[in-house]
Amino acid sequence: MRLTEEKVKSWLRENKFPVPEGSAAGSPSKASQIAKELGSVAVKAIVPTGRRGKAGAVHLVDTPDQAAEATSALMGQDINGYPVKEVYVEAKFPIKTEYYLSFAFGPRAPKVVVSRHGGVEIEQIFERDPDAIISDDMDPLIDMRPWDAVDLWERAGVEGPILARLGQLTARLYSAFRDADAVMIECNPVAVDRDGHLSLVGAMMEIDDNAMFRHRDWSSQGYSFGAEGRILNERELAVMHANETLPGGAIRYTELDGNIGILMGGGGASLLQHDMIIDFGGRLANHTDFSPAPSIDKPLAVLKAILENPNTKSLLLSFNYLQLLPCNILVGALCEALRQKDIDTTIFPIVVRVFGPGEDTARAMIEKFPGVRYMPPKASLDEAVKLIVSLTNEAGADQSIS
Amino acid sequence: MSILIDQSTRVLVQGITGSQGRFDTEYCVAYGTNIVAGVTPGRGGQEVKGIPVFNTVRNAVDETAASASVIYVPAVGIKDAVLEAVDAGIRVIVALTENVPRHDAAIAVAATHAAGAWLIGFNTNGLISPGKSKLGGIGGDRANELYVPGRIGVCSRSGGMSAELSSALALGGYGVSTCISMGGDPITGNCMVDYAREFEADPDTDGILFYGEPGSENEQGLAEALKNGEITKPVVALIAGVFQEDYPAGLSFGHVAAMIRSSDDSASAKQRLLKDSGAYIAHRLEEIPKLLNSAIG
Repeated sequence: MRLTEEKVKSWLRENKFPVPEGSAAGSPSKASQIAKELGSVAVKAIVPTGRRGKAGAVHLVDTPDQAAEATSALMGQDINGYPVKEVYVEAKFPIKTEYYLSFAFGPRAPKVVVSRHGGVEIEQIFERDPDAIISDDMDPLIDMRPWDAVDLWERAGVEGPILARLGQLTARLYSAFRDADAVMIECNPVAVDRDGHLSLVGAMMEIDDNAMFRHRDWSSQGYSFGAEGRILNERELAVMHANETLPGGAIRYTELDGNIGILMGGGGASLLQHDMIIDFGGRLANHTDFSPAPSIDKPLAVLKAILENPNTKSLLLSFNYLQLLPCNILVGALCEALRQKDIDTTIFPIVVRVFGPGEDTARAMIEKFPGVRYMPPKASLDEAVKLIVSLTNEAGADQSIS
Repeated sequence: MSILIDQSTRVLVQGITGSQGRFDTEYCVAYGTNIVAGVTPGRGGQEVKGIPVFNTVRNAVDETAASASVIYVPAVGIKDAVLEAVDAGIRVIVALTENVPRHDAAIAVAATHAAGAWLIGFNTNGLISPGKSKLGGIGGDRANELYVPGRIGVCSRSGGMSAELSSALALGGYGVSTCISMGGDPITGNCMVDYAREFEADPDTDGILFYGEPGSENEQGLAEALKNGEITKPVVALIAGVFQEDYPAGLSFGHVAAMIRSSDDSASAKQRLLKDSGAYIAHRLEEIPKLLNSAIG
């Protein structure tokens, strides 16, 4: 879950990290009021995305009137695909030197990355001056010690009295990164003023969605994302809600730009069949990832979402050999969704490839829905995929004629 | 032979009194797995299907000499469950739990490695050495049908696909020495190259089949071992998820994740990398036996 700047900054403030004074404003008058107290300020769009400077979402101003103007200019704008509803008004920090600090995950353990240059994108620093960047794997079994952090900054080429303060800040932030179950914290720049005071002027943070059980207070505060980095739509949100509240295995649902709806079991079979559908000339209306468990609730929730999606023109229900979920429960969910959404199965193509315990009952249930193709036993994934692609294309051709 | 487990492996089940633990244990016992103990704190002294239950893994190991553990514990408790198993000297740990918090997974994996133990998972449905033993839900009640004994080692990032892969092998006249669902979470205890090394050393394995997905550096390690001659047995790989490259990647949020990733981890990049390292790439399940046939004869 990504946190926007004002959330990250207030979390940093609560944990006694140095950040510039600032707060969120939902109107130009509020922004001007904050600027009155803070003097020269940066007015930044609150959107869950990086590269805001480049997108023109950060205005540096010197008076309350200018802060109000900048706010009205930003409000309602679209920044990297996100509408601006609020701005963050923050005191300008008198930067003398800029550094870079981040924590993220490598394949097995957290990594720390520091650089003696900050303020620009880390990729650019890497191209220009790779020696200025030091990256280390962390040992998950111990915390970072301040002297290890000092060593990191020293290797990155930092000298002088600032080393001790940077080391202490880095070790303390790593510990906070772990406590918050963050998967990423990027501070750019870590700024220092003329008197040697540090401030985390730029800060981004992402929390582990799988650790929300330890951070109930975060759950209403961030943004969860579907494919393509966009905010979830109502059907995707409904499935996410169902996933959190109903019994059964984990389920994910993401809408795409095609017309074949799918519910597939297991992450692997979903990926493979998705590849095959594209190879055979089809396009998917959604992607799903479902860990089968013996419960009707979750498959029903996702099937309803699929059938509610106006782009869905057909449905493939195809699973690996079922080990944990009897076929009749899964197919029962399909029948229930078809009834609730009043689908005419003689027009709307549906292919079912569901084998395993309860298969006979499942086949009998489907007979009440004429037109549904239940694949014969031992039919391959290939056959089911080919059939849904050709049925969908035929149905599309019929519609375009009429 | 087989890798990691065989008929003599003494297995305990952490969380045996839960519904999934009971369900899988029954099928494992029916299959022939030597399950010697269960562990659920507070249920010590009870029995599940005649299997004695202990309060701690240490007590269970002391009493039964178990060396492998299958863990049915929700995400909130999985880190401690793995640490407890490691602490009690368990050598092979199967952690079925999925969506494990990243920091917890990192700690559990580091502790397992420090102890020299083996961790399968997170997000696995287990492993099976056909005809000998199976741990976890793998194969359900039809393990005999889906996993035919033979001489191909199988390692899959997806639990469900392990059944499809093994069925495809059987249809093409091949069987399985050991099949491992290695775990589908971002962090797993052991990675593809670790399994490749075990299969390389197993005299009863002639070829190795991998199933991979986008993300993770598993295939990179495997490709290196193929290139440097460490792995000499034929490797067939099926990597799914090429479609993801069809969709825009989305706006990046932080920069560091992309930077620290050492190379392209898309499905097609992995296919190219493995192919260049000498592996055979299958695009469909049906192609697997044909590729093995040309590689092994």
